[in-house]
Amino acid sequence: MSTQEIIQQFEPKQHNLLHILHALQDAHPENYITEEALEAAAGHLGVTKSTVYGVARYYTMFSLKPRGKHIIRVCASPVCELLHVNDIIAALEEELSIKTGETTKDGLFTLELSECLGQCQEAPSMMINDKIFNNLTSARIREVIQSFKDEARK
Amino acid sequence: MSIQETRIVLKNAGKINPLSIDDYIRAGGYAGLRKALQMNPADVIDELMEAGLRGRGGAGFSTGMKQKFTSESCQRCPQRYVVVNADEGEPGTFKDRIIMEQDPHLYLEGTIIAAWAIQATQAYIYIRGEYHESIDKTQKAIEDAYAAGFLGKNILGSGFDLDVEIRLGAGSYLCGEELTMLESLEGKRGNPRIKPPFPAEKGVFGMPTLVNNVETLANAPLIIANGREWYRQFGTERSPGTKIFTISGQVNKPGHYEVPLGVPLQDLIDLAGGMRNGKKFKAALLGGAAGTFVDASMLGEKMTYDNLREKGATLGSGAIIVMAEGDPVYDILHNCLRFFRHESCGKCVPCRVGTTQLVKQADQLKSANGDRKKILEQMVLESQIMAGTSLCPLGQSPILPLESAAKYFSKELCTTHH
Amino acid sequence: MNKQVTITIDNQKITAPEGANLLQVAKDNQVAIPHLCYHKKLTPTGACRLCIVKIEGQRGMVASCAVLVSEGMQVTAFDDELEEARKYLLDYLLSEHNEAFDGSYSDEFRELVHAYGLDKAENRRFPSIWKELGYPKDETSPVLSYDAAKCIKCFRCIKACDEVQGKNVLSFTNRGIISYIIGGFDKWGESECDGCGECIQLCPTGAIVEKPHRGEIHMDNGIRKVRTTCPYCGVGCQLELLVQDGKVVRSNGVEGVSPNDGRLCVKGRFGYDYVNHPDRLTKPLIKKDGKFEEASWDEALDLVANKFSEIKQKYGRKALAGYASAKTTNEDNYLFMKLVRTVFGNNNVDYCTRLCHASTVTAMLRSLGDGAGSNSIEDYETSDCMLVTGNNMIETHPVTATFVKYAAQRRDAKIIIIDPKWTPLVKDAHIWLQPRLGTDVALLNGMIRVIVEEDLIDRDFIEKRVEDGMEAYEALKALVGKYTPEYVEEVTGVPADLMQEAARIYAKAERPLIATGMGYSQQVTGTHNVFCLINMMLITGQIGREGAGLNPPRGQNNVQGVSDVGASPFTYPGYISVEDEENRRKVAKVWGVAPEELDGEKGLSTVEIMQAAYDGDIKGMYIMGENPMLTDPNLNHTEESIRKLEFLVVQDIFHTETTPYADVILPATAFAESEGTYVNSDRRVLRVRKAVGPPGEARQDWEIVAEIARRMGKPLGNYQHESDIWDEIARTAPIFAGISYDRLEHHGIQWPCPDKDHPGTATLFEERFNTPNGLGKLHPVDYAEQSERATDAYPLILNTGRILYQYHSSTMSRRNKALTDFANEAYVLMHPGDAENQGIINGQKVKIISRRGEIEDIVVKVSEEVLPGELFMPFHYSEAPVNKLTRDELDPYSKIAPFKLSAVKIEA
Repeated sequence: MSTQEIIQQFEPKQHNLLHILHALQDAHPENYITEEALEAAAGHLGVTKSTVYGVARYYTMFSLKPRGKHIIRVCASPVCELLHVNDIIAALEEELSIKTGETTKDGLFTLELSECLGQCQEAPSMMINDKIFNNLTSARIREVIQSFKDEARK
Repeated sequence: MSIQETRIVLKNAGKINPLSIDDYIRAGGYAGLRKALQMNPADVIDELMEAGLRGRGGAGFSTGMKQKFTSESCQRCPQRYVVVNADEGEPGTFKDRIIMEQDPHLYLEGTIIAAWAIQATQAYIYIRGEYHESIDKTQKAIEDAYAAGFLGKNILGSGFDLDVEIRLGAGSYLCGEELTMLESLEGKRGNPRIKPPFPAEKGVFGMPTLVNNVETLANAPLIIANGREWYRQFGTERSPGTKIFTISGQVNKPGHYEVPLGVPLQDLIDLAGGMRNGKKFKAALLGGAAGTFVDASMLGEKMTYDNLREKGATLGSGAIIVMAEGDPVYDILHNCLRFFRHESCGKCVPCRVGTTQLVKQADQLKSANGDRKKILEQMVLESQIMAGTSLCPLGQSPILPLESAAKYFSKELCTTHH
Repeated sequence: MNKQVTITIDNQKITAPEGANLLQVAKDNQVAIPHLCYHKKLTPTGACRLCIVKIEGQRGMVASCAVLVSEGMQVTAFDDELEEARKYLLDYLLSEHNEAFDGSYSDEFRELVHAYGLDKAENRRFPSIWKELGYPKDETSPVLSYDAAKCIKCFRCIKACDEVQGKNVLSFTNRGIISYIIGGFDKWGESECDGCGECIQLCPTGAIVEKPHRGEIHMDNGIRKVRTTCPYCGVGCQLELLVQDGKVVRSNGVEGVSPNDGRLCVKGRFGYDYVNHPDRLTKPLIKKDGKFEEASWDEALDLVANKFSEIKQKYGRKALAGYASAKTTNEDNYLFMKLVRTVFGNNNVDYCTRLCHASTVTAMLRSLGDGAGSNSIEDYETSDCMLVTGNNMIETHPVTATFVKYAAQRRDAKIIIIDPKWTPLVKDAHIWLQPRLGTDVALLNGMIRVIVEEDLIDRDFIEKRVEDGMEAYEALKALVGKYTPEYVEEVTGVPADLMQEAARIYAKAERPLIATGMGYSQQVTGTHNVFCLINMMLITGQIGREGAGLNPPRGQNNVQGVSDVGASPFTYPGYISVEDEENRRKVAKVWGVAPEELDGEKGLSTVEIMQAAYDGDIKGMYIMGENPMLTDPNLNHTEESIRKLEFLVVQDIFHTETTPYADVILPATAFAESEGTYVNSDRRVLRVRKAVGPPGEARQDWEIVAEIARRMGKPLGNYQHESDIWDEIARTAPIFAGISYDRLEHHGIQWPCPDKDHPGTATLFEERFNTPNGLGKLHPVDYAEQSERATDAYPLILNTGRILYQYHSSTMSRRNKALTDFANEAYVLMHPGDAENQGIINGQKVKIISRRGEIEDIVVKVSEEVLPGELFMPFHYSEAPVNKLTRDELDPYSKIAPFKLSAVKIEA
């Protein structure tokens, strides 16, 4: 779908802005919202540019910079920290050869931290795109990352 | 011998297919709604008020009272809204997720009852953007409820109309705060509004709005179907009913447990399988980041809103993060302070700058040039100023973990870390 | 009126309206609770938290800006705990703040920091962290700079832009401590910001500051502040000019005073630099052998006096004429008018009103007895329906538009726009009717028919307030019978349902205002257009009370005043006819001349004067502050006319398109160098004050006029000061009788003001209309097709108009870098369909040709702002003189020229 087609699905009311931004970001292969898309959203809603920009910059799920195909979001809650999520993050950084906040050279992964994912019964946890991974260990990390890499190769 | 759960809200959880409205109806679902629609809206509110239901989002305010205010304000207003707060983001908390994933019709039914009670014809369910499964299951529940005549025009022949729509969050803890949620619902940045006006007078789109938490609404069908007396058999006089606690950390069986309000903390830990690998209990963080640390001296305390408040602790969202001997309180406190800094919207001065300065001081506490005790005292003092002057609950929160950590673990926090 | 309640603040008893804002109540009663984010004009924000107080019965500290007062409220505003908390808050702010201060702005935060002793490092608790936060500076705007490290994030700029100006251009980016203000996508210069600077004015810290003169200004060092009235459009905004070293270096809006309450537009705030421009005329110039040479005042004035006397003697008193000026003061124009009538001896005095609202005024005079706006500018804010006809008010009257937008955005008022061209107000409009150019009469008759058919008339009003009552109504009803929705749609292109809805909303509204502009007046049918508006207004009874009426926002700062003080071929000061003998006697008496010295025959109007010059009947002309060689219609004809004059005097502040044709050029003062008064669009007499001295030998217009009269042997009077002239105006014109300079010291007064105890008149026609019998008059008029229409040879219809950043012939506006940075190039708007048909692409330069003339090198902007078949061009640019294309076929009633409709063709 084109940017316009995505936007036109929504009634031109500002309360749809978050949904529009979600839809625009989800539709982009690099998981972000382009400036053109922001401008189109502002035009559709009849609001100023800063209105959409300010909203996009407020909510952490939105990115205005290109990201990887898969967004890894590691839960950084106190519970996960208590259960050594820092080791998991270190393992991910090593496995992906990037720091938190960066995207792998092949454009496959972006590593981010997240607020509590609400998976505390099986912490530590992370999400890759919209899928949850719990009871993480360094070994499990390697397994999961490998499976995404394998899939990409197919 | 540990206590048993008392599952009323979670009675269907894990037992029925959450994607099947028929399963839900077979389990007695929508009986509360049928009954409510036979009642006067005011009587519905009265029933909830008399049952003593208190908001399960954390504040513990009387649900019936909130509904009464909303239903009675601005009679000229052409529209009234129900907003379901499903923006569960308090660290260590996942009770709403469990309801949404395992029995979505229950809170949807509660939503419809609330809408009838305040005569709202539009409801929004604001779910955090990361809760994909909750979103999908709620969406399915809504669609099935429309098909079955529980939503839409002329619900069950009552003449009452209601539309329900899911609205997505996008990564902001603060949007779980009701005045901020209203801004977010309007497609704006999550900056909290000032009070007055209260949502009950001027909420979303300037109209009277009732904001209720998922767990709160999930109680409503049970109360209406079974009556206030039935409900009051659970819990205590001032905190009737049950509460879902989410117990995590150093216990053998972390998870969600529904018990009557008033059970002691120790029982809850036992319910969660006791301390992991037989470790010794050191501390618990009750209520999440915006919660309080307690030590072993509090294990016998009854878990009610009022009792904990009297003891300087909080029940909050029902999160219980259990720490064992050897676990660093400093790290968890630091985590909480970083969290507040990250989630502060920046609107008011004490929260915007205070949350940043607290993290800096917490760093100093570790690297520690100077008098650690003085630094910790200063941090507590600042958090008091923040609590006294901040615009919304976020800036009023750092005091909770900070003061309680300082109270129970001052010695640990003020000695050299490694 | 709200109930009054009594509260106590720190044991002081205070009475205030119930529900009033506690912080404001404290301020009003000299309880100085510290605050930074609160501003009277804005909704409370609750961001800075400094205004915390304690209230008996409430827990802890509360922000007083968010408290509404109620009976018996007991407030503690100052105690140790509160002061300690405030100190903390300021300390917090300081830690994220760059304290560097260059003295070029006032800084409320800095003052508080001093007051709490936090300027001393030893009193601070927090380390400075602003450097590590990565705060940027945004220098991309042409007029202002933003420094995030100076910003305390109080929201005042955001709300100034949103709530006051209705633009909402600003927001925050990021969140928490690293948040800061943005325009657009974090580039102010690429945002929708139009440079009004409301954000600057309300910024408490100097995070947002004007760029012009920033380096020169030192607020603590010799800055003088002079209050005056804006020299641009007819809103009459009250300005405070900052003067340093004899130069205007900044302009602020004056808070708390009508009509603008501190608001300005980009021209009012940044358009003053022309005053100090090197191009200013500084010496009289006399043309010798085709070249201008500097001359002494004596030489120049003697020459002018002699030449005028000579022409009068040779050709008779009717051979002289004068153009007065809508730019100069009432006092200047009054003496100018007096010179034409008593020294020239005729009534050939007119000015640019003939080119703008003459038709509106004519229709209003005939129907209502007064040609001025019937309501106050503030009424727009509380109106529930605004019918905006041919009026691009966001660009032409930006500050009036802020009130209109406020009503629409925050009070759900409905704006109905009638305009063939898109204007920015469409964004806030409920309905936009887009009739083809020149079909307004049909459209309005259609609306009237809807009102008739659906019985939305006000029978009582018609019977009591309209001449011939229901009988007149029946005549109108009969006439509009044929304007069925279908027929009207066919003629105008406006969908019938929209037209019907607009009519219903207007007729049913409680406080509907009509704001009519050049789009309605500058047509051959200009007077008819306004007759139709008035017909609709009268049968629905939508006039004669606060918030209901008809208002033509005036285009120039003093276009209202110049008519008011009698610079008109038809009327003396105060709108009394020159043809009435009784009036003549009265005026002659005040002026101390014999009644027969005053010409009893009405004079020639603006375009007629040019025509008479062309025909050889006018031989000598005195033009004060007008530029007909750019602003008159059919410029080629104007040029021929001017060339035929034997003697032309032009008095101005710059060389203009007209000065080359002059024999003598006289240097006059600009607004900031003048004393006097203007009258704005809502009849408000406002003071103009001298802030700086004139350049070189320039003199204020009235002094030059008086000198010429004296040298022609007929002194106008003995005036020591402008107030002497005003007092004579007040004696001559009954509408001004009660107004004097001392009454104007702090605020303007709306005429009529018949005596010195009269407060002025906010709303006209409450009891009666100003017609002889006191009744309003219906003028049913039929739609007639335009004589000028698209043909095969000239297939497009050209509309002309104004833009925000330039002003009229741009002699003033274009000499401000701030304004030209925003817009400095002529263009023509063309519908995408037409562009495609003609094979023209966006940005291409074209030639535009009409039957009268042609202009070249005009950049095409392809835009859906115009209808297919129609073009639009701004008229400001001398290198693209669009009036070479326009017609001088006049509206028969008002003699206005139809700038809005010319058939043209385009050549690539």
